[in-house]
Amino acid sequence: MQVKLEDKSGVSVVFVKGDIDINTSPDIKKFFDELIKDRKEKVVINLGDVSYVDSSGLATFVEILKKLRSYGGKLKLTNLSSKVRGLFEITKLTKLFDIFDEETAAIGSFQSGS
Amino acid sequence: MEERETVIEVTDLVKKFGDRTVLNGVNLKISKGETFVIMGGSGCGKSTLLRHIIGNLKPTSGKVCLLGTDITGLEGAQLDEIRKKIGMSFQSSALFDSMTVGENVSLPLREHTVLEKNIIDIMVTMKLELVGLRGFEDLMPSEISGGMKKRVGLARAIAMDPQIIFYDEPTAGLDPIMAAVIDRLIVDLSRKLSITSVVVTHDMKSVMGIADRIAMLHEGKVLEVGTPEEIRNSANQTVRQFINGSFDGPISFFQQKDDYLEQLTG
Repeated sequence: MQVKLEDKSGVSVVFVKGDIDINTSPDIKKFFDELIKDRKEKVVINLGDVSYVDSSGLATFVEILKKLRSYGGKLKLTNLSSKVRGLFEITKLTKLFDIFDEETAAIGSFQSGS
Repeated sequence: MEERETVIEVTDLVKKFGDRTVLNGVNLKISKGETFVIMGGSGCGKSTLLRHIIGNLKPTSGKVCLLGTDITGLEGAQLDEIRKKIGMSFQSSALFDSMTVGENVSLPLREHTVLEKNIIDIMVTMKLELVGLRGFEDLMPSEISGGMKKRVGLARAIAMDPQIIFYDEPTAGLDPIMAAVIDRLIVDLSRKLSITSVVVTHDMKSVMGIADRIAMLHEGKVLEVGTPEEIRNSANQTVRQFINGSFDGPISFFQQKDDYLEQLTG
């Protein structure tokens, strides 16, 4: 699994590539701990190159969201494959996360204040 | 029809305990995502077959492939690695009485992963929600009903996101409503999580309600494999006797031996 960070118009966009499972989700967690330490407030995770997320991965996203929210940060998810989106739906997490089809829409949502 | 990936393949499996042959050449193929029921009367060898499939018993001959790996000769760490990909729901629920519901569900995650407690706690909440028991985390097993214990056992079985779940007599000892709840849960989990389910049971109502395919095991052999409809319409007298629960038929309940009078009189 690979994780890459880019700043796009003041928004931290994190690209993840590979499966997010019990073996790799601790690495995702570590990566975001650094972002959270820097108090990044606008964060987008692009999951376009992720074909599978297990429940440890879903739980890791929930934990990241909780930490971001604790200081007023916001998290948006984008480019979920239908399989990954299905996993969010089963666990009712689509109600918890802001999910966008396109990265530009996710970034734009910060400007529009939603 | 699209050919689905085989996740369990049992080939010519024979198991002898001393002189007694419990499995006598079992052949089975179970596909990814299906709910496969192994049914048969008490002592027909179904639990022994299950124990071979999960690697708890070694066959006298034949082989078992689980998730593409021949596990027949595997031991220790190699077998444990495969076992992390399967979940097991036991007849007795097998909960630890000294642990809370939440601790029971989190046990495999604490034992087999390096995940942080916060993450594990969220996962436990998600698993308990799936079995309808969110909010019961802090109760002890002694404080919940038998049906709830089964559901906790199920939440623990799916804790590690298994590819296959094995259920050993999941509805045994439950009232009909709770049995229906467990049946529904098995089907729901299979469909929602795309898990392959292998269910060992002799509960006919349960069998017909949950199975995609059924194997009838009798005297250590697979008599027939088919959909519930095919099994219901089977011409095999042994299968018919079993599904109709008849006393009369090829399945004998008493050992008929000629030496009875001889034994009485010495």
